[in-house]
Amino acid sequence: MNVTWNWLKDFVDCPYAPEELAQRLTMAGLEVEGMRKFGEGMDSVIVACLVSVQPHPDAERLTLCRVQTGTDELQIVCGARNHKSGDLVALAQVGTVLPGDFKIKKSKIRGCESQGMLCSEKELGLAEESAGILILPPGLPLGQPVFEALGLKDVRFEIGLTPNRADCLSVLGVAREVAALSGTAVHFQRPVGPAGEGDIHSLTSVAVAEPEHCPRYAARLIRGITIGPSPDWLARRLESIGLRSINNVVDVTNYVMMELGQPLHAFDFKRLRGRRILVRRAEEGDLFTTLDGRQHRLDSADLMICDGVGPVALAGVMGGENSEIGAATQDVLLESAYFNPQTVRRTSKRLGIHTEASHRFERGVDIDMTPLALERAAQLICETAGGSAAAGAIDVYTPLPSRPPVPISVRRSNAILGIDLDGERIGRLLSSIALNVEKDGANPEDLLQVSIPPFRHDLEREIDLIEEVARLNGYEHIPVTLPAAGVDSWLVPETAAAAARIRTALTAAGFSEVINYSFVAPGCWDKILLSAEDPRRRAVPLLNPLTEDQSVMRTTLVPSLLDVVARNLSYRSRDLRLFELRPVFSPDNAEEGNPASEKLHLCFALCGRRAPEGWAQGNEPVDFFDLKGVAENLLELFAVEQAVFEAGAGEPFLHPGKSALLRCGPGVAGYLGEVHPRVLGRFDIDAPVLIGEIDLTAFLKAPVEEKKFRPLSRFPNVQRDTAFVVDVTVSAQQVMDTVRSAGARCLEESVLFDLYRGPGIAEGKKSMAVRVRYRSDEKTLTDEEVNRFHQKIVDALCGRLGAVIR
Amino acid sequence: MIRQLEEILDQGRKSIADAGSESALNELKVQFLGKKGKVTALMKGMADLPPAERPVMGKVVNEVKNSLEELFEARFREVRELDLERRLVQECLDVTLPGRRMPTGALHPLTLVTEEVVQIFSTLGFGVVEGPEIEKDYYNFEALNMPRNHPARDMQDTFYISEDVVLRTHTSPVQIRTMLKQRPPLKVIAPGTVYRRDSDLTHSPMFHQVEGFLVDAQVTFGDLKGTLVTFLNRFFGRRIGVRFRPSFFPFTEPSAEVDIACVICNGKGCRVCKDSGWLEILGCGMIDPEVFKAVGYDPAALSGYAFGMGLERLCMLKNGINDLRLFFENDIRFLRQF
Repeated sequence: MNVTWNWLKDFVDCPYAPEELAQRLTMAGLEVEGMRKFGEGMDSVIVACLVSVQPHPDAERLTLCRVQTGTDELQIVCGARNHKSGDLVALAQVGTVLPGDFKIKKSKIRGCESQGMLCSEKELGLAEESAGILILPPGLPLGQPVFEALGLKDVRFEIGLTPNRADCLSVLGVAREVAALSGTAVHFQRPVGPAGEGDIHSLTSVAVAEPEHCPRYAARLIRGITIGPSPDWLARRLESIGLRSINNVVDVTNYVMMELGQPLHAFDFKRLRGRRILVRRAEEGDLFTTLDGRQHRLDSADLMICDGVGPVALAGVMGGENSEIGAATQDVLLESAYFNPQTVRRTSKRLGIHTEASHRFERGVDIDMTPLALERAAQLICETAGGSAAAGAIDVYTPLPSRPPVPISVRRSNAILGIDLDGERIGRLLSSIALNVEKDGANPEDLLQVSIPPFRHDLEREIDLIEEVARLNGYEHIPVTLPAAGVDSWLVPETAAAAARIRTALTAAGFSEVINYSFVAPGCWDKILLSAEDPRRRAVPLLNPLTEDQSVMRTTLVPSLLDVVARNLSYRSRDLRLFELRPVFSPDNAEEGNPASEKLHLCFALCGRRAPEGWAQGNEPVDFFDLKGVAENLLELFAVEQAVFEAGAGEPFLHPGKSALLRCGPGVAGYLGEVHPRVLGRFDIDAPVLIGEIDLTAFLKAPVEEKKFRPLSRFPNVQRDTAFVVDVTVSAQQVMDTVRSAGARCLEESVLFDLYRGPGIAEGKKSMAVRVRYRSDEKTLTDEEVNRFHQKIVDALCGRLGAVIR
Repeated sequence: MIRQLEEILDQGRKSIADAGSESALNELKVQFLGKKGKVTALMKGMADLPPAERPVMGKVVNEVKNSLEELFEARFREVRELDLERRLVQECLDVTLPGRRMPTGALHPLTLVTEEVVQIFSTLGFGVVEGPEIEKDYYNFEALNMPRNHPARDMQDTFYISEDVVLRTHTSPVQIRTMLKQRPPLKVIAPGTVYRRDSDLTHSPMFHQVEGFLVDAQVTFGDLKGTLVTFLNRFFGRRIGVRFRPSFFPFTEPSAEVDIACVICNGKGCRVCKDSGWLEILGCGMIDPEVFKAVGYDPAALSGYAFGMGLERLCMLKNGINDLRLFFENDIRFLRQF
């Protein structure tokens, strides 16, 4: 809501300077988001009189003007064509800085000196567009600053109103607030409309079929008007709050709405069939064209203003094309009404039409203002557009149920606010905003009964009044305290704690965390080659996405992370270790009480070199085993038992031979592998990328090894190495399982420390070497004992896996 | 023979002193004391001496041998010392060469700021709770005193999943869920991801908030002020100007917006604070009685406060980040700065 200093002054004598007023309004909950000062720093733009206008000797389009400022006569070169000698003009003297940081300097234009500039309305910031320079009305004193002479020195306050403060959607409403803050009174005189002649009731009629939706409908008829431009004062006032001037009648309805908060509508009376108004609900499926030219399909809950035949306006929202006033309009029927907020909101929302009128009706206007605004507007129309009013007004009024006084307890108010005000102070604060406060008959010590005026729809309950007390007394006067000790919760969700450990582990391993949008393009499932039946295609869709690219909720983090890899590669960051730890969503298997399933996933990706670039490090690229190492470290961090990596993840976006499924206990917890070359192409990635995704819900549910202290042996360990040749099909897992299960006593640890294929080893075979360490808790093991233990492993390797010892 | 011995000793002394390396010394040692060495040869010649001279000569030979051994030993130590010195000089490194490093990773700045906020509220006795991001309209709006067709719903543009399901527009539904699940007193914060249907330079369709609330028998607006002032001072690491100004949220009353003195210009007025000297940082208020009613609490017996703040904004102000979009572009050059 925009208001100006000058307009406010019509209603209140504000004792504050504009800056202070802005500050006080903000601290009272009417946040002044911006201030615009008209004419500030423009005192050097003065009224001057054109003494002579000659053609420029050297430029056809320019004129050479001599202007009289009252003290000097100056020569100005001017490019406009709408001026003649004798005109009063706005002269920007040398040194003036016009809006847009346009500094006026003494200059020579085509050889002729120019000692200033004659300004247009646009150059002065008075209008968006203007043709030619501003010609001032005659009679203004020479030398006076133009803004002052025109009464245009003003300040606009741009107030960001919260939805509860519908009462401040007018200059009068803001003035009431200013009066309350400054301890002054609003001077609002009941508007008196034109007397008129010829009884309105004999010329037209209004019937309201839906009094519940339209408790009040008032109208006046003005005939014989002339549509034309508004007078300057009216156009300027509207422009000063950012509205465009349209014509005298429309401008008056807008002006009164802005001034008093009551939306008005003017019908072209001659276009109303049957010359009457009926307020009723629409017929289901009817089509109606609003005055913006858009056609709407109505439903039976839409409230319509109709003439003798059919709809002519969407009640409280917008008028119809069929009754719109235009240049030829002579008679207008002026409507001032109170529509049910819910009714207007429903229609406005459903049809997607938001207007200044609907904005106010939805939030609730002042039902007592209906006839007053009507009179004010009728009077202004007669003044600006001529015409004569019919005598009297129509006012179809079904009073709203009366609102009982709202009680407020002094004790309760103080208890909520943490402050100590007495009943008298509270009463004074509430009275300042036009509430009628009385002590409760039964409990005068503590209870006040407060009557609420019809423009404050937001005050219904005690707490609403407590807020007014806090606001008017000033939030800054509420003492700063701390809550009583005693409440102390230390709960941290289990998954959040686990997520924090994983983040620490991964950053320590060189991974950086990314956060992507939770919504993705449905096409990303194709990009990662998911089959038509893949359950991950069943994603939760948004009904109203911003773009197709953000229209379904992710079921896997892989596509987003690949996008990030691609983006970074395109920025020439080639060595990447990235992870994302965020939920994925699914319409199925929602956790109890939730509308959809949300599962925390971890996705991690690597590409580029294994070690940071440097003089001392090689340039080996990362491979599958770097990826697997990350997963193994996490398994160890959480002491997950029985974790197995199975060959071939079966994921369409992973390399079939360089990927694995991660099983933890009975379930699959995730997969990892090199991204399929075909998928890389679809993401425009030109380097191998390794990626893994783990469902943390499954991962954290896996059986874990209980961490229990084991005493440390004080005896030395003994180590044995065995190299052997096996078929290439024998997996490392088989070898290590065999070593561990061979029954060798005192086995402390075993490591696969060599792997070789190539010259010297037969085709289809590979050489492997294991190192086994033995240690006893009771004694130093002898060579013979260790040989005996180790022989079991050697026998098992040969017997079970067909190993040939080298 | 004695003269021969003295010559040998003399020769030895000179040669040993001249020998510059361990290998040269080893060779010399063989020449003098080895099996075929000069001293050994002389000792063999003892057999030709008259028996009476033998003990005397034997003693002299032994003395020479011992002297030589001592000389060798001493020279060996010297040479080793010299060798070490020489090697140490040769082994000098260019210590300015960069070390052999592991790749380094960084947490997302939003994670860092969330952790910091959670940490501060933890020390103030707040627990942490979570809720779903795909949320029922009822929890996101209705139970928070925002019935359908209420103008307050216009304050937040909502992504809908269905008529009754939304992407939560704030973390406040976690309040409702927590109050329904537990009994007061409650003192918790709820960090989380939220969504609004709005995307431009200063709005992201997905962003992050921390919600906090306290419900107990006698909680006051003053307590709310105290909690938030304490938090803001700790978060920004100094006593920072804070002001509470009246505002409106359907689920709190009285409601307030909290501004801090602009951290860029220290309240003097700049582009970031639009010359006001203040930056809006969070919204808060006393929990509205309607909210208590929706969860079956008695508003006459309880009071409470709630607050919610945007983590992106906190993070931007604290780290001087000037573009919201950077958070979700995930450029590694950005991520590594934190």
